[in-house]
Amino acid sequence: MKRSKQLFKLNDKFKLNDRVYISLFKYGVSIVLFILLGSLLIMSQGVDPISATRVLFEGTFGSKRAFGNVLRWTAPCILTGAAASVAFKAGVMNLGIEGQVLLGGFVAGVLGAFLELPPALHILVCVIAGGIAGMLYAVIPAVLRLFFNINEFITTMMLNYVANFLTQYLTQQVLAGGLEVWGYVNMQATPTIQKSAVLPTIIPGTSATLAFPVALLIAFAIAFLYKRTIQGYELKQVGENLRFSKTGGVRVVRSFMTIFLLSGLIAGIAGGIEVIGTYKKFNTGFAAFYGYDGISIARIAELDSIAVIIVSFIWAVLKAGSMQVERVLQVNRLTVTILQYIFVLFVAIDYAGIYNRYQDRKIKKRIREGEL
Amino acid sequence: MNKMDYAVEMRGITKNFGTLTANDKIDLFVKRGSVHAIIGENGAGKSTLMNILSCVHLPDMGEISIGGKKVTLRNSLDAVKHGIGMVHQEFMLYPELSVYDNIIYGFEERKLGVFIDKKACVNKINQIMTSYNLSVPLDSLIKDLPVSILQQVEILKVLYRGANIIIMDEPTSVLTPQGIQGLFNAIRFLVNAGKTIIFISHKLKEVLEIADTISVLKDGKLVKTLPAAQTNEYELASLMVGRDVILKANKRELKAGEILLKVENLRVKDKDKVERVKDISFEVRAGEIVGIAGVAGSGQQQLVEAIFGLRAPEAGSKITFDQKDVTKLGPREHRMMGMGYVPQDRIGSGINSKGSVWETAIMGYHIAHGFKSKILLNFKQIETFTNKIVKTFDVKRQKNSDSIRSLSGGNIQKLVVGREFLQDNRFLVIEDPTRGIDVGAIEFIWDKIIDIASNGVGILLISHELNEVMQLSDRILAMYNGQIFEAGNYGELTEEEIGLLMLGGHADEAF
Repeated sequence: MKRSKQLFKLNDKFKLNDRVYISLFKYGVSIVLFILLGSLLIMSQGVDPISATRVLFEGTFGSKRAFGNVLRWTAPCILTGAAASVAFKAGVMNLGIEGQVLLGGFVAGVLGAFLELPPALHILVCVIAGGIAGMLYAVIPAVLRLFFNINEFITTMMLNYVANFLTQYLTQQVLAGGLEVWGYVNMQATPTIQKSAVLPTIIPGTSATLAFPVALLIAFAIAFLYKRTIQGYELKQVGENLRFSKTGGVRVVRSFMTIFLLSGLIAGIAGGIEVIGTYKKFNTGFAAFYGYDGISIARIAELDSIAVIIVSFIWAVLKAGSMQVERVLQVNRLTVTILQYIFVLFVAIDYAGIYNRYQDRKIKKRIREGEL
Repeated sequence: MNKMDYAVEMRGITKNFGTLTANDKIDLFVKRGSVHAIIGENGAGKSTLMNILSCVHLPDMGEISIGGKKVTLRNSLDAVKHGIGMVHQEFMLYPELSVYDNIIYGFEERKLGVFIDKKACVNKINQIMTSYNLSVPLDSLIKDLPVSILQQVEILKVLYRGANIIIMDEPTSVLTPQGIQGLFNAIRFLVNAGKTIIFISHKLKEVLEIADTISVLKDGKLVKTLPAAQTNEYELASLMVGRDVILKANKRELKAGEILLKVENLRVKDKDKVERVKDISFEVRAGEIVGIAGVAGSGQQQLVEAIFGLRAPEAGSKITFDQKDVTKLGPREHRMMGMGYVPQDRIGSGINSKGSVWETAIMGYHIAHGFKSKILLNFKQIETFTNKIVKTFDVKRQKNSDSIRSLSGGNIQKLVVGREFLQDNRFLVIEDPTRGIDVGAIEFIWDKIIDIASNGVGILLISHELNEVMQLSDRILAMYNGQIFEAGNYGELTEEEIGLLMLGGHADEAF
């Protein structure tokens, strides 16, 4: 009995003091592995990794245009990252961000092209309508989860396909009027939006638009929600211990619904902003990477919305830089994409658990050998 | 006695799960060709001990001998090799497969090394069935059969695997009285044929009927092993539920007020649609402590969940709180009306183990009492309320923003109890308030409970410690198998008398 008590004391002590080290260790190991693997992949294409890194930074911080490009990519990363982390934090596995982005983008594209409104109002209408479209699309998995007990893990993922083909159908068959009418005209996109709906740039001559400050604002709002408000407190508790919250009197069903809607809203806004800010029209399937980028970013940032901003920036540097590396050094830009996702895998490893198990075994062995 | 006469010898078996010591240096000797019963409350360590014998778990310390030879069991195949078979409480059968497939699965007779020799398998099964007087339809699907047949399938399965020592974990809990007699006949037949049976249960009557030897476990320790012929229900009951150290509470005179909680004809089913609370009625007055004593799993959990609005009762049930019908209301409404709840499962329901001390401390408080703002968290108020709990209940912590996992189990318990006690609630449902905490803290929490009741708060106390219920309650109810029985006012009945009611002994005769 005495021995076993000692065993737990040792374990407890370890768990408390070393958590910070484990975090440092986790990111440290991931970054080292990332650099090693990255160098290998780049070298395998006959390029020196150091010059590749130099080109990557030239392509991102080398000029005003390049930096604007980084901010242009940071915005959707923050938004989808926020949409994912807001959901995951409350225990809702919304994997349907891609679909919600697509619907938001489609609605914004259509309203941008066909409505006639004064400039500022037109932008506002497009963004808000896009957000609502994403939100309504998230109602489907929410209802399936709450009233039919179907795991959102599967429904949201499947609904991504539905969104993809639905918007594609609407673009080609309804808006473009089908094959007979348009013949050779580009049918992969809705008509270009009107000037009044175009999101203005914040750095002239670059592709950095108002999307960046809006994304920052939303990320800060989410951080505020979770850190300062009662609703946010309840949502966090629901995500971390459902039974605890239920016993404590939190309306769990309502919380789930709120989260689905909020996550869908942010994703929808992301889609709307991308369409009116960057592409100026809705391209079918444009969101292919957006959903999983957001999920990956949220995972690396450990669901903290402020960390989401930082991770999104790094993500955007890699994204924008990889294109420059491809242009200058003929390194396939997918190399960087591969590395980005491998980094997520490294971060996802349960280092604490591995270390715990190792310690446990060591202590047990010492007990068996009669040292304790 | 000759050493070879023991089928199983377990020495110094110790097993820890996290901070819980499920088995603490247990010595168990089982005679060959006998029925050896192991009794104890849920959580006493019976199943862990048997899982160690059948290699579901490896022990942290201790050694096992089978048939006089010391063995090291590494995995469940080792256990099968040494002739140990276990009939689990939850049947381990594939519902979509036939009885035949379930029996041979993993231990098929083979042709040419790769093909199943169905004829040989069927012959072997039929031979076992005739020699042990069992009969099951081999071609039926498991999902189409009643539980009493499934149990025979499980027994047949372990016999097919060549078991000489058969462990049965709570085998009667799923059976009807007729089914139980059938099972007992089968057990007697098996023993006569030279098999050894280890029978796990917490039902005393059955144990006395079937067992030759009885071992009592309590809190992970072996209390006593005694021959069934030389004991009775009274002795077993006090061994099972009695405490070594009897603590004394400073009980005050009862000043009962108006009826606060009234439960009428309450029936509750669990998630498997099994009725766990069977037509219960009782009431609790302001200032009164009503204690419910019972062996774990007698339906207390479902009763409490229904009262607090966590589980919907069956139609016809009625729960009134403060003259309002609350049968269909949820926990939020209960809290708003001034009902507090200390859950038994403090890690699962009492705290958020991923969060901080204050996050756990304000749960419920933030709804029923709230902050000055309806939207924002008021960190000053949070700090004040958390500090109040910490101070009044002597919770050892460094900062309110510390991770709650840095607190010991006893301090977590004090935090949860304090949270519910300091909210000016008018009624408290308290489950096992002193589970797993040290003696000093137990007396402290007891004093608080008596204190709070004397201020006019109604208390429903559900505890698995009989002594706790007896020390604190003005009125005692014994719960057994989903029903409650009046067990007298404070100090009226002895521990043995209440213990017997809790274990279903003489229940019908007594009332």
